[in-house]
Amino acid sequence: MKSIKKLMAVMMSAMLALSLSVGCAPTNQTSAGGEAPKAAAEDSKPAEEGQKTYRIAYIARAQSDSFAAWLANAVKDEVAAKYKDVTVDIFDGESKNEVIASHIENAVTNKYDCILLQPYDSEAQVAPAMEAMDAGVQVVTVNNRINDNDRAGAIDADPVEQAAKNAELALSQIPQNGKVVVLMGPAGNMHSDKRRIGWQQGFFDKRPDVKILDEQIANWNKDEAMRFMEDWIQTYGEIDAIISMNDNMAVGALEAAKAAGMTNILSYGVDGTAEACLAIEAGEMTSTTLQSAYALAEEAVKLAYEMMTGKGERRTVLVDCPLITKENAKEYIELHKKAGNLK
Amino acid sequence: MNSKELNKWWSKASSKYSIYIVLVAMFVVCSVISPVFLSTKNITNISRQISITTIIAFGETLLIICGLIDLSAGSVLALSGVLSVAAYKMTGSMQIAVLVGITVGVFCNAINGMLVTKFKTPPFIATLAMQTAARGAALLYTNGQNIYQIGEYKALGQNSIGIIPIPVIFMIGTTMITWYILNHTKFGRHLYAVGGSEEAARASGVNNNRTKMTAYLINGLFVGIAGVLFMSRVNAGLPNGGIGAEFEAMTSAIIGGTSFSGGIGTAMGTLAGAFIMGFVNNIMNLVGVQSYMQQIVKGIIIALAVVYDIRSKNKRDKKKQGNINDKLTDADGKNKALAAR
Repeated sequence: MKSIKKLMAVMMSAMLALSLSVGCAPTNQTSAGGEAPKAAAEDSKPAEEGQKTYRIAYIARAQSDSFAAWLANAVKDEVAAKYKDVTVDIFDGESKNEVIASHIENAVTNKYDCILLQPYDSEAQVAPAMEAMDAGVQVVTVNNRINDNDRAGAIDADPVEQAAKNAELALSQIPQNGKVVVLMGPAGNMHSDKRRIGWQQGFFDKRPDVKILDEQIANWNKDEAMRFMEDWIQTYGEIDAIISMNDNMAVGALEAAKAAGMTNILSYGVDGTAEACLAIEAGEMTSTTLQSAYALAEEAVKLAYEMMTGKGERRTVLVDCPLITKENAKEYIELHKKAGNLK
Repeated sequence: MNSKELNKWWSKASSKYSIYIVLVAMFVVCSVISPVFLSTKNITNISRQISITTIIAFGETLLIICGLIDLSAGSVLALSGVLSVAAYKMTGSMQIAVLVGITVGVFCNAINGMLVTKFKTPPFIATLAMQTAARGAALLYTNGQNIYQIGEYKALGQNSIGIIPIPVIFMIGTTMITWYILNHTKFGRHLYAVGGSEEAARASGVNNNRTKMTAYLINGLFVGIAGVLFMSRVNAGLPNGGIGAEFEAMTSAIIGGTSFSGGIGTAMGTLAGAFIMGFVNNIMNLVGVQSYMQQIVKGIIIALAVVYDIRSKNKRDKKKQGNINDKLTDADGKNKALAAR
């Protein structure tokens, strides 16, 4: 009996905590709304009389990935704001090729007009996407491409260029005979590998004097990057630059460098996350390139709409990836505030 | 002491303290391999790097001894961490933030415990469900985005008292709590008893359900603390943080001699296991081992440590063949024997 009472007390207090947290969720929503007013559930808008409604199935790589979540929200906002005769439903690919394949099959069965796909693997999604196109459903890929010989519409940012822009800046910043460490995303990840190629071509091939002290996989994670950096500082002492394939890891390594009192270290990332923009503005991080979910969403929905309505043909569009440095960081912090990524 | 006696003494010592011998051996080898390994800074680094995993590992140790498991630790860590960060951003009070983190951890584990005791769900499935649900809740609350600009929240995970990082102080605290529970409380003896044999425990008057529930609640406390420390260390609220943390924690516990068959395990063993993993990770980075290679080496070392531990235990058990109290007089057996009375 006593233990039940205790349990009740615990649960009550936990509920209190939860209601506290739920209580602030709406504020989060309002700020996320920003200037693009969203219909409560954009997914189901009644079509006007006699007009065809086009249906898009948006298949996200993984809703648990912060960039993928931002992109999904951006697609929803874009459709709600500009396309009165389009509805979009979001599906979570859970970072699993088989889950994505079944979402594609279901979308065909459910007679969607277009599948907007954020591919997880450039090879694994080819067959299901081909089947969908054979069945007459339009397919547009966004934020990664599939090896389909340019059959589906494609919207992407060029990962090699994303890295190369940072590399170009680094050419003049990293000192002669500089020592650098490199942080990679998950093994075999297309974006990580391509960005590494961008660094190789844009920097390491041109600067044979620079020494790579170590190069490790930190799986895009801030905490893992922190751990590597702490150990590197012990082993090598002097490190001139952190070269990271994404912002999370760059900021993590920077966190360890700050703790060790290394304030002059250079650090480069990719993605343009809110946290990186703040670090750049504060003069802690050097640069990053923006992978803008808004730009990708805008182009992707536009192309999907043209293909569904027959007003346009498939094409490949590479969106721009602006370099973010201390000079222009403020502008991108505003962008993140608008997106609700910063409160 | 003649050589025969010495031999006997050695075999006794090596079986009882096998894991500590492995730990000391690794320490010596690492010091030889890398000149920086022994530096004060590096040792504090290692301690801080393992502290969060180790705190979770103590929760897992209590559960595994009792024949239970928690697969939800990593997800609950993320949920309690992000809610704690959110509470801090709202109130600016670290006390409230820590309280929220702990409350969420305990609440999730109260559900785990209820599923296991009231509804008789297998612990593996119950906590797997919680793993999925808690991660979903963390992502839902944050809208899949990281929480930044958390101000002085980071102090708890990044600052030190003297040269000892604060997370390490929490690790030492949880080590002492776990040690005390397992060695000096009735509840601790009940954990071994229930893990050893539920039937026997029940027959000797142990309230199995209450024991299991309490084990989950204490686990919740530890996971909640770990969640706060994790977010504070990375200076952000990461809804994707701590994926797979439960497995790292279980690895430390298992290397430290906790047995999945239940009824066996010690606090100090788990701490030693955590340090062994910490040494392995650290030395490979210090020496610059290639990252794919690191995974292979880690796998081999886990296997070797456990094989060595099992072999030395078997040797000891063989000597006691025929003794029905065999298991009861095991490393932690004196407790079980007491409980079974």
